[in-house]
Amino acid sequence: MTTRILATLVFLAVLAAAPAFVPPFEVRVLSLFCFWGALSLAWNILGGFAGYWSFGHTVFVGIGAFVPGVIVAKLFDGGGAELMPLLVLVGGLVSAAFAGIIAWPLLRLRGIYFAIAMLGVAQVTGELSAAIEWIGGGVGLSLPDAVPAALAPEAFFHYIFVGLLALTIGAAAWVRGARFGQGLLAIREDEDTARMLAVPTEGYKIAALVLSAFLTGLLGATYGFSLGYITTDSVFRTDFSLNMIVHALLGGIGTIAGPLLGAAVMVVLTQVVLGEMLNLHLFATGALVVAMVLLAPQGFLGLWRRKPRAQREPGP
Amino acid sequence: MTAPVLEIRGLTKRFRGLVALDHVDFTVPEGTICGLIGPNGAGKSTMFNLVTGFLPPSEGEIRFRGTPVTGWSPQQAGRSGVARAFQIARPFPGLTVRQNVRIGALFGRSGPRDVEAATDTALALLGIEDLADRPAEGLTVGHLRRLEVARALAARPVLLLADEPCAGLNPAETDAMIAALRRIRDGGVTIWLVEHDMRAVMGLCDRILVISAGRAIAEGTPGEVAANPAVIAAYLGSEEQEAHGA
Repeated sequence: MTTRILATLVFLAVLAAAPAFVPPFEVRVLSLFCFWGALSLAWNILGGFAGYWSFGHTVFVGIGAFVPGVIVAKLFDGGGAELMPLLVLVGGLVSAAFAGIIAWPLLRLRGIYFAIAMLGVAQVTGELSAAIEWIGGGVGLSLPDAVPAALAPEAFFHYIFVGLLALTIGAAAWVRGARFGQGLLAIREDEDTARMLAVPTEGYKIAALVLSAFLTGLLGATYGFSLGYITTDSVFRTDFSLNMIVHALLGGIGTIAGPLLGAAVMVVLTQVVLGEMLNLHLFATGALVVAMVLLAPQGFLGLWRRKPRAQREPGP
Repeated sequence: MTAPVLEIRGLTKRFRGLVALDHVDFTVPEGTICGLIGPNGAGKSTMFNLVTGFLPPSEGEIRFRGTPVTGWSPQQAGRSGVARAFQIARPFPGLTVRQNVRIGALFGRSGPRDVEAATDTALALLGIEDLADRPAEGLTVGHLRRLEVARALAARPVLLLADEPCAGLNPAETDAMIAALRRIRDGGVTIWLVEHDMRAVMGLCDRILVISAGRAIAEGTPGEVAANPAVIAAYLGSEEQEAHGA
């Protein structure tokens, strides 16, 4: 256990030190990994631990990014750069509050119905952000440049994304080890039996969605600041929702290392190996996902773990 | 004296036109093992579903340790100390045996206190400590049944509802289950069980309720019930059962 914590801290420290050693492009790739890994891990708290797959988690990225955008436009007239930490926090909190509101009706749905309902929520919320002129998602919103003079922009955002990744890993690890996490696993495995064992299923599902939305909202808000200018199309993105699922699936759903591993593989594949061949990369991504679902439904981690488990079972 | 662990008065459940349970009365005294028997479709599982809050009764009252609890939720039942082992074992397949039992201990009546000790005790009492690190998926029927009871027991219940704990077990496994249920009772847990294995029922139970087509047709000690003509009629399908309705 302690070795695992130590390894995670070393890993995060190495990631954080990257801007001092590697060129800007590679720093951006690493930031992208932190962003994707953290998003997928946040999704995994509800989707992997509790088994409630959301197909519309981009709604929390969108809300997380739009809340600071709207506040800055309405209250600070485009300024307010020094308030960035607070604005990011508010983005996360509003995402969490929104999750709390939709949780009650939506989490009564199970399986694919919940997944589709979340997809609908994301679509509708995205449409509204564009259609309501007061919000201004159609035209777009500017976020102030909060980068300190002493830092390069990619390094500044890299530090924040590493910090958010650390926060998300910490949150997921805490959930996993806590009674709360055991309750979520029970819900995933058999919700009726979980109820009979006195797992407070309704409260736990809501808490998992709210926590997941809070983390996703923080990431969305930071992403918005890193873009500097957001529109509905740049943050309410169906491919965001799908990637969170794909990364978790690839690496190993319901684990902590899995979503990070999946995100690492996909970021390397799309940004480094196939970065020059945009058409081919979508094709290759699709082929990889199909292959994984067919050959290794437990993800990369499942492939790695399968052998020792088989050896441990020489009959009773 | 202390109130009985469970009291059922006039309990009735209708599913649209069908009357699954019809004004049934029964009392489960503390520290006993009681039985609930009857032909298939008599309403035994419905009875357990009402007591554990999975279904609301249409009429009647349920009292748990003297407190009216009619219409409570499964969570309230679980927290108050009612545990249930399902007829068809429902382990969490993706978790190990120990993880399964531990969840029972984490959320039961005693809450998250002494979780590891309760888990170990339950595993040992059912004799499955050697399987603790195996995935629940792929266990034999006999092991699944024991896991089902161990998980319920880990919650440290006041009342254990065991729905056919011996179904599908071979004679040796049945004996082991009977011995385990006795030890559980001796440990202070009151048990109400549904069972088709007459050897188990007659050997274990202090009192037995017999239901048929939703009605209570007999109640008493195993000896009384076995000699009751209405019970024999219900099991053999004679016309006499009308005359002896309880």
